[in-house]
Amino acid sequence: MDNYIEFKNIKKAFIGQLAVKNVSFSIRKGEIHALLGENGAGKTTLLNILHGLFPATEGEIFIGGKKVEFFDSKDAIKEGIAKVHQEINLVPEMTVMQNIMLGDEKRKGILLNKKQMYQETEEILKKLKCKFNAKDKVSRLNTGEKQMLQIAKALKGQAKIISFDEPTSSLSNNEVKTLFSIIKELKSQGITVIYISHKLDEIYELCDRATIMRDGEYINTFEIKGLDKSVLIKNMVGRDVEMFAKRQKPLRANYLQTVLSVEHISGKEGYEDISFNLYKGEILGFFGLVGAKRTEMMKGIFGATPLIQGKIYKNNKEIKNCSPYNAISHSIGFLPENRKEEGFIKDLNNTDNMALASLDYFERNFFQNKKQKYKNALEKGKRVGLMPNDPDFITRNLSGGNQQKVIVGKWLTTNADILIFDEPTKGIDVGSKADIYAIMEELLEEGKSIIMISSELPEIIGMSDRIIVMHEGKITGVLKREEFNEAEILLRAVGGKE
Amino acid sequence: MKTKFKNLNREISVLTALVVMTILFGIINPVFIGSDNLTDIINQSTIYGLMGLGMTFVIVSGGIDLSVGSAFALIGVIVSKLSVAGMPPLVVILTGLLIGFLLGAINGILISNMKLQPFIATMGTMSVFRGIAYVLSKGMPILNVPTQFRNTVDGIIAGNIRISIIIFAFFAIIFHVLLKETKFGNYVYAIGGNEESARLSGVKITFNKIMIYGIGMMGTSMAALVQIGKLGTGEASAAQGYELNAIAAVAIGGASMAGGRGGVVGTVLGAILFSALKVGLIVSGVETFYQYIATGLVIVIAAYIEIIQAKLADKKGMKLVKKEKKL
Repeated sequence: MDNYIEFKNIKKAFIGQLAVKNVSFSIRKGEIHALLGENGAGKTTLLNILHGLFPATEGEIFIGGKKVEFFDSKDAIKEGIAKVHQEINLVPEMTVMQNIMLGDEKRKGILLNKKQMYQETEEILKKLKCKFNAKDKVSRLNTGEKQMLQIAKALKGQAKIISFDEPTSSLSNNEVKTLFSIIKELKSQGITVIYISHKLDEIYELCDRATIMRDGEYINTFEIKGLDKSVLIKNMVGRDVEMFAKRQKPLRANYLQTVLSVEHISGKEGYEDISFNLYKGEILGFFGLVGAKRTEMMKGIFGATPLIQGKIYKNNKEIKNCSPYNAISHSIGFLPENRKEEGFIKDLNNTDNMALASLDYFERNFFQNKKQKYKNALEKGKRVGLMPNDPDFITRNLSGGNQQKVIVGKWLTTNADILIFDEPTKGIDVGSKADIYAIMEELLEEGKSIIMISSELPEIIGMSDRIIVMHEGKITGVLKREEFNEAEILLRAVGGKE
Repeated sequence: MKTKFKNLNREISVLTALVVMTILFGIINPVFIGSDNLTDIINQSTIYGLMGLGMTFVIVSGGIDLSVGSAFALIGVIVSKLSVAGMPPLVVILTGLLIGFLLGAINGILISNMKLQPFIATMGTMSVFRGIAYVLSKGMPILNVPTQFRNTVDGIIAGNIRISIIIFAFFAIIFHVLLKETKFGNYVYAIGGNEESARLSGVKITFNKIMIYGIGMMGTSMAALVQIGKLGTGEASAAQGYELNAIAAVAIGGASMAGGRGGVVGTVLGAILFSALKVGLIVSGVETFYQYIATGLVIVIAAYIEIIQAKLADKKGMKLVKKEKKL
């Protein structure tokens, strides 16, 4: 077991901040090596240096004992270092073959050698046991197939080292299984795998060793076999955090007081005849698999997309939400699942992002009260545990967990009675998760009510007062806390019981 | 404070370019830095500047308005007709602004209600507005706009300073305050930064877009009114290609064509720089044909400077970190 990849004193500085501080460790040949850490720990930055996306400010990388220096990603690919991107990076209007060969087209004279390219593509697809063809259009593939295509693309150049950055965040359980068998297959071929994920279960199932980073620093490297999970978590966050989502305070739902009543709503997005009540002081969890239409249904309630039929009552009065503006004026808030696309405005700072849904409140004789906005951002930032809590900070430059906290801050600013949280902890670090759970409980204490969509069973079971399970646009079960049971919930989510 | 300074980076570099340019042209021909010439430069910047103010709103919101040149001609034809018919100057000005708002609102409706792409929608209205201007004027220039109106919008205050400069300054302040200090202005940035996110935060996209294009076009209205004051003639063929100059002023001023970034201060400086360059080239005896080349180069260079600035900022950041570590 020799050290194959060696990082020596790597430092990387971005505007005003060291993202990676003096990191040294090594990865063995042919192992699956996990990189762990909270968001903003510097894992992705370190990987990007290895892949030649940008140079290290200081330090050296050795591969197989030879010092390497990459000036762009092409150099790294030539050396056999491939990357499976965190976000799907494909051209939807082109075919599978065109995407795989993009940037490396084979030619015969000045014309494309399509025959050769199709042949090479088919070989790769066969090797990965993909179910789609080289001629399929990428826009027709589902998320899991797209992920496979990303891997196929990365593997094309005879990779010796391959990295995965949160590969399972958009995959269904079956797709995750396929992915894991592929990764294990890669390992058996002697390929070295670097694997970034927040999900500890995955690390235990897949990885040989794990390196932990925190705040840009190297913390430790562990053999996974026989290691206690709590050791990993403690090292990741540097403080004790409850391992799973758990209610810290007494339950306080008042089942005599209905705050939101949804009756027989349907939408063209595919949810049908949905009825449920939300009671004061409860967290109502919505569980389902991909395609359960939970997000679509909530967007319908929030007025972001039109309802075909059905009625919504708030505090026993009918409300008509024909736009998010109406919903907000009825004191309903919605924290969307896709932070970047829907959650915040990229060029605005924390002050403006947190104030955006409440500008009427900050208006004084037609002018915006900037001081008050700044104060609000400072106060809400403190409440949600924002780091750094700087209202002038551009939200885009924060880590994922902190971006999410800014969005939570935005809905705290509106002081809405009913909050719809759509996957509030998706892709964020353990520490931020704990902060967001704590805020949710505080909100209940203030007499507010929460709807939470989550696809993580431990989270939905730990945090909800009641769980509604959905399958393909329909409700397949309503469970009380004492009835919570993983198997039961999953059974209903796959449509096996109604 | 630190971030405020950082945000002004772009404005400072445009200002620096302006100063350097003034010194260079001054060395080539001292006439350039005469006070008459300098006020002339500002006088000439008012037209593109006023159009640029409105264009700033549109571009920051992530859109584009190609119809402003044609709208300029149409508004010019209408207001000169009204003025010749004997309508009092103030009423003419208000009517002109109102028509501008309505023309802009039409663009806004096409873009937000009918979901046309801004480029296509305003390319369509560009032709329609121009056509209406020709129909209304029957292709003939409208001559002899009364002196009373001309003095109201472009009279001389003292020496070489004209009322139009005051109007430009007044509009710039109003547009700046509207963009930076009001709810509407906040929404302009939010829509340009991420429209879906803004919508889910309760921003009424349709209403605000109509207002953006409407209010934006009022800058063009004022530019048309000032131009009629300067020339005394309204013409359907006026302002060909002005839309590109207005966009250039905004781009030089540092706005992002993708939306979400930019500001009135940058646009004002961009418009002045644009006009200083033109006057400077004339004063230096450069042939007209070369002036086109020079203007184009300035736009490209301005865009490139922004890219360099971003890189410098990254390096500066690294130095800061090193300093912090020493401490």
